[in-house]
Amino acid sequence: MVIDFGGFGRPYRLINELWKPSFLSQQSLAYPPLNLSENASAIYVRAEIPGVGPDDLDLVLTEKNLIVKGERRVEKGRYFRQERPAGGFQRMVALSAPVDADNVRALLRDGLLTVVLPKAQPKSPRKILVQHG
Amino acid sequence: MPEDSKRPDEKNLPRFRPATDILERADGFYLYLDLPGVSRENLVLDVKDAELMVSGRTDYRFEPEERLLESEFGNVEYVCSFTLSDIVDAESVTANLRNGVLEIFIPKTSKTIPRRIQVEYQGE
Repeated sequence: MVIDFGGFGRPYRLINELWKPSFLSQQSLAYPPLNLSENASAIYVRAEIPGVGPDDLDLVLTEKNLIVKGERRVEKGRYFRQERPAGGFQRMVALSAPVDADNVRALLRDGLLTVVLPKAQPKSPRKILVQHG
Repeated sequence: MPEDSKRPDEKNLPRFRPATDILERADGFYLYLDLPGVSRENLVLDVKDAELMVSGRTDYRFEPEERLLESEFGNVEYVCSFTLSDIVDAESVTANLRNGVLEIFIPKTSKTIPRRIQVEYQGE
């Protein structure tokens, strides 16, 4: 064999994540891992999808959801070890606030997808005039 | 998300071994390591003797006033090492980081052909 296993004592990522109570939900086992956050101006969705180019990635925005789907391709050759996930994936994010769909931006860098969804400006409340009957 | 994820300069990031594929093609061995969030500047690759060591840190930053609602990943340090045998050419290892995947190519050396050892079998 040419390549040795890099030591048995090294932690494996999933095992480590399972130690933390916050990662015990079933969600954490879904692929890809997502971070969801917001501030006053926008909602941010970030996902770790290494090896996926813009062509293999599909983002769909509906009224209340953002859907991230795509495919991780498999390299050709004789495998000695295969740990990287491969195949199709899809995740859906429920958006907590209405977003300005025309100004959504998505950026892919170093295997990190960042989607910035600006919050839609709330329409000012309109007064309804009550007329005499 | 752990506290230190907001400070990428923090020394003690959680350490992980990256998910790795190892495969062989006619010209040599190819290693693919998932290193999402690791930029070229934050990646260190060392070949020392027969040991190939890879380490890299993610540098996730946040927008001002950003509040996490759900978190499934944070800043980590990826560490792993591989032992190369002498049928590969350690001098001409090449590496290429693209889209968060590190591809390492280890060509087979042409001068040494491994000798096959015949296993003798003695029937009972």
